[in-house]
Amino acid sequence: MRPEPGGCCCRRPVRANGCVANGELRNGYVRSGAVAAAAAASQIHHVTENGGLYKRPFNEAFEETPMLVAVLTYVGYGVLTLFGYLRDFLRHWRIEKCHHATEREEQKDFVSLYQDFENFYTRNLYMRIRDNWNRPICSVPGARVDIMERQSHDYNWSFKYTGNIIKGVINMGSYNYLGFARNTGSCQEAAAKILEEYGAGVCSTRQEIGNLDKHEELETLVARFLGVEAAMAYGMGFATNSMNIPALVGKGCLILSDELNHASLVLGARLSGATIRIFKHNNMQSLEKLLKDAIVYGQPRTRRPWKKILILVEGIYSMEGSIVRLPEVIALKKKYKAYLYLDEAHSIGALGPSGRGVVDYFGLDPEDVDVMMGTFTKSFGASGGYIGGKKELIDYLRTHSHSAVYATSLSPPVVEQIITSMKCIMGQDGTSLGKECVQQLAENTRYFRRRLKEMGFIIYGNEDSPVVPLMLYMPAKIGAFGREMLKRNVGVVVVGFPATPIIESRARFCLSAAHTKEILDTALKEIDEVGDLLQLKYSRHRLVPLLDRPFDETTYEETED
Amino acid sequence: MNVEVAHSELNPNTRVMNSRGIWLAYAILVGLLHMVLLSIPFFFSIPVVWTLTNVIHNLYKAQAMYIFLHTVKRTPFETSVQGKAWLFIHWEQMDYGLQFTSSRKFLSISPIVLYLLASFYTKYDAARFLINTASLLSILLPKLPQFHGVHLFGINKY
Repeated sequence: MRPEPGGCCCRRPVRANGCVANGELRNGYVRSGAVAAAAAASQIHHVTENGGLYKRPFNEAFEETPMLVAVLTYVGYGVLTLFGYLRDFLRHWRIEKCHHATEREEQKDFVSLYQDFENFYTRNLYMRIRDNWNRPICSVPGARVDIMERQSHDYNWSFKYTGNIIKGVINMGSYNYLGFARNTGSCQEAAAKILEEYGAGVCSTRQEIGNLDKHEELETLVARFLGVEAAMAYGMGFATNSMNIPALVGKGCLILSDELNHASLVLGARLSGATIRIFKHNNMQSLEKLLKDAIVYGQPRTRRPWKKILILVEGIYSMEGSIVRLPEVIALKKKYKAYLYLDEAHSIGALGPSGRGVVDYFGLDPEDVDVMMGTFTKSFGASGGYIGGKKELIDYLRTHSHSAVYATSLSPPVVEQIITSMKCIMGQDGTSLGKECVQQLAENTRYFRRRLKEMGFIIYGNEDSPVVPLMLYMPAKIGAFGREMLKRNVGVVVVGFPATPIIESRARFCLSAAHTKEILDTALKEIDEVGDLLQLKYSRHRLVPLLDRPFDETTYEETED
Repeated sequence: MNVEVAHSELNPNTRVMNSRGIWLAYAILVGLLHMVLLSIPFFFSIPVVWTLTNVIHNLYKAQAMYIFLHTVKRTPFETSVQGKAWLFIHWEQMDYGLQFTSSRKFLSISPIVLYLLASFYTKYDAARFLINTASLLSILLPKLPQFHGVHLFGINKY
């Protein structure tokens, strides 16, 4: 049942962002049995065509966890906890060998140096499946990668290399959205030439003697790419966020940050000293309420107006695969006169008809976003981050940002890689390679997601996001999925608690323009097989309103004076 | 910092009791305990079984939950707030110390329900009544908001 353009196909009264309004509240979740029943027969997507704000359908879905699976997941964690206590007991009484750090015998009566309980989870749960992470690779992480094989004889406490290399593993974990992670081609040749000319290191900060002409060239190019007045590039993406937000806001300002924002944004917000309030993920009602309250009530005790209100959102949220509702955020920002900081780490290059990010994807004006931040790590195959905006803003950041003053600037071959890949995406190198890559990525995304949904897996996120989280739920399946996929020559990234909510462990696939259809088909075949083996096909095609999220309540902890 | 973490939740321990299906899992666990006790023949008659369920539930609450909720401090994983929850037991950590949330109400009501059932099935005789009441009080008093952060006789203070 396809929705007609301009209409919403949910049969119940809808609010602004298309969420179904009625539903009973139970245990903190909105459960809508009637919508589920109605949706059971046909696939109803939450399509929003919100009074002309959205020029294209916005399909985002987070299917509800099946109750049986949730209960079994708790049982799983319970059993693991009990066994953890048992093993700790055995280790304490020296029946079992103790591998982790302990104090010397003479110091046992002192105040303890190592926090035993805080490592409980690491010791007893993470260690068991540790071989799924930190796998050493020994080739360029393109569509296929070579992984060094390792073995453990003491249950993952230590690893030994067998000497084999697993060749040609299909790489579904690298943020290689446009396929620029290559060691051949024009980018590599240009970077090699610049390496010969400028060397590898800069040995200084931007403010001292580390400002190369290459950096200026990069910054004008980035500004043109994004459609903003000026831009500034930094050596590290994480440092871009964490060092620049303190330069922009301070005490007496308010930061409204999305629930699922990345650690760099959270760190930057906390370092700034501003008051932080968190709104529910991608939930515009929550954001509007916070904005209204902030403006009406002002600062906590003095009731003075806030000096600045900054909204922090990301383009694509990499754990959920969801895309920010940018048209609505911009409408709210204009209405309440707040500032918007958009972190396009994952979406630059990966979204939009010409690869210019989430602003391009929604067809909006880049001037509406006050601070456009992004990284070169993902789609450009390099490293570093940038901030784009008005010229006064960038000039201010050049003098006041910690990264500019203290951190070493970008290395010249890396800068050349970014310049070459950006020109390629823009089509300025004379080929249509960039455009093809962007289109290939979009096709891969749609195809992969559609096939996984048809197979019956629960997939989170927006239809157009190249980050595809596949839900595993149970702790044992995290380890099993990673290992089984590696046996079948596919490398995936799996994530569990506490990085995700306790019952929502997942495997996260990152699609790439470098993946051909054959590679995707092979990967899909293996995923299908492993899904049958591990019984991962939970989907009952029951889509629920987007209000239903685990970190449900507004956080009670506010960093206020 | 919140490394490798996908959300800005400073202490995920506070949200565990609100997660989907955990109340059901808790209820099933109690039911299972009761079944296990019921299936032991002879010695245990029905009143004894109910008393035992109540006591073991509270003790198991005193072992699993009492210990898990009321004795064990800190968190089983490293949080980014550098030990803000260092001295807090799980009960105090729930919902960041906000009282009377739905999970707290659920966890307070469940021993009361079991107590009522146990009293009914033991036909209110004196000895079992004392045991049940004592165990109910031992599990209910620490949940009161007045006891938030209170350490009687300095037990479990650090």
